[in-house]
Parts: sequence; C-alpha cells; structure tokens
Amino acid sequence: MDNQDKNLITIGEAAELLGVSIMTLRRWDESGRLLSVRDKPGGHRYYRKEDIDVFLNDLFQLAKDWAIYEKEIPEQYYCQNSGVFQARITKMETLMIQNKDANKLFSLLTSIAGEIGNNSYDHNLGQWPDIPGIFFAYDLNKKQIVLADRGVGILETLRKVKPELKDHAQALQTAFTEIISGREPEARGNGLKYVRSVIAGNPINLVFQTGDAKLILNGNSADLNIENVSENIRGCIALISF
Amino acid sequence: MIIELKKFGTTLISRQTGREAFSALQAILRDIKEDEKIEIDFDGVLTFSPSWGDEFLTPLLNTYGERLTLKNTENPSVQATLEILQKIAGKKFDTIKG
Repeated sequence: MDNQDKNLITIGEAAELLGVSIMTLRRWDESGRLLSVRDKPGGHRYYRKEDIDVFLNDLFQLAKDWAIYEKEIPEQYYCQNSGVFQARITKMETLMIQNKDANKLFSLLTSIAGEIGNNSYDHNLGQWPDIPGIFFAYDLNKKQIVLADRGVGILETLRKVKPELKDHAQALQTAFTEIISGREPEARGNGLKYVRSVIAGNPINLVFQTGDAKLILNGNSADLNIENVSENIRGCIALISF
Repeated sequence: MIIELKKFGTTLISRQTGREAFSALQAILRDIKEDEKIEIDFDGVLTFSPSWGDEFLTPLLNTYGERLTLKNTENPSVQATLEILQKIAGKKFDTIKG
C-alpha cells in the first residue's frame, strides 16, 4: 500500500487529530471501535482521513460511548472543570456570532448550553462517582450541541429536596417544570426550567436523558414528552439542535 | 452608582463566576450612600444566564429593592433570564431603556 496516498495518515497523526494516545488507537483498532488499514499483514497502521472525520463527527454517539459505556473520548471534548468549560463555550459563542445559521440565536444557545453544562458541575461537585467533568462538543454545520456527564443523575440530586420522587421520569418532570424555592438546602436547581422556557419560544430542540428516562422538547412548543428507554445512563446526556 | 456588567465579563453564565463577581462588587458598594440608586448596565453583555444572575442580581434585588434599576436589557438571554429570576424571587426588577 502506498502510504503517500493523500488520504492515509500515520497513527501518530491520527492520535494528534483525535486527542488520544497511540496506545489507545491500537486498542480501538483491536476492539473494532476505529479500524486502521495496514500496509502489509502485521505492518504499520495507517488511518483514512475520512474515517477520522466520521468518528469525530458523530458527537452524540461519542458522548454516549463516554457517558454510558465508559469509553475514552478525544481530549478536545472533555472539560474536566468548569473553567475549561467556560473557555470552550465562550469560543463556541464567538463562532456562532460569525455563523449565519447561528448568529440570531447565539445568546440563547450559549445560555442554555451553559445552564445544562454548569448544572452538571454544580450538582456533582465533590460527588463525582468516577470521572469529574463533562463532555461538551458542537457542530455548527449540523447545528447541534452535545453535553454529557457521568455524575449522579437528576433523580439522586432532586431526592435531596423531594424524597418522594419515585423514578427518573418523575425527576425529569420536576426538573423541567417545578420552580424550587430558595428555602431548600441548595439555592440552585432552576436552570432546566429556564431551558424549557427558552425552547418554548424559539426554534431550538432538546433531547435530554437521565437514568432510563428521556425527555424531548420541540422548538416553539411548551409540550413536555417524557418516555422510558432501555439504555440506562447514570448521569445526563443532552442534545441541543437548532 | 452605575455598575457596568461588561467589566465582569461578557459571557456571564456560571454560578461560580457570578459569586466571584458578587463578592468583588461588595468592595465597590461599600461607599454607597444610604438612599443612592444602583443602576446595573447590561450594555456589551453577549450571553447571560439564570445561574450567574441568581448569584449576582437576586441578592441585590433582595437587599436594595426599589433602589435597584436595570438598563440595556434587550439581549434575548438577558430578557429570558430576568423573566425566570423574577418568577423564582416573586419580585419584579425595575428596568429602564438605555
């Protein structure tokens, strides 16, 4: 195989593009997660540039792989602390201002993505079960923003102020509809109501899952659709599209 | 006294930075006269959120009540945030056009 082929890149170059180590790429190759091509059996690994692009483009799948199946993700999508998140969301805001499809909605999109992401930090600080921080990625061409965390989830968080909550679906319903008053032990907890009210008046959609409950909000509508799904997530995952 | 929010940043979205801004503001408010009005100017703010606002605006509203005025609040994220903060606090902000 001719590695001068413009579409083939070395494993080192692929590792750099993806923000993971060469060891990780070898593991992914063996497990089938991201396959390499070889110049001869047992020879060097090369990667097709388009395979790397496809891998990086499926943001929701990457977020799920990380949040549900605990797989490694490219470093560029991982925000270990809220300072990293603030820097990256500010960058997104700047790109949206320059983007003709996003510039009318940039402040609302940045604001709701900020609420969802910061909620993850605020509710899990000091209690992250394994990995602290969130997944945050966006694709302005596809008009989507993806966030995820491996925190304790909405049900466990809300049970502290509302012990009668029975399941994830009820917790989602509460999180998106009930104003939690300042008398509760923590002053936070109204960010998701804000997200809902913004979506109700704008062409922005949201899919939000915690536990086995998934909520769908469609733009310009206050309807709340919550359903149970088979794939369980301990923390939260959100897909905003516009 | 006029407080220009853009001096605290233009992407005001987290509780953490809202709290930091509020504590920085305390030094500025030390010199305020007893019946002096406080005007919060949103000019230049690109994105605002309830988390930041709840740490900064809500305590000001609770302490200064009618002495507090907000101006240049046309940004959509500012509008949407003020609406929900008012619902949570059960009080209205006094806003004026810039």
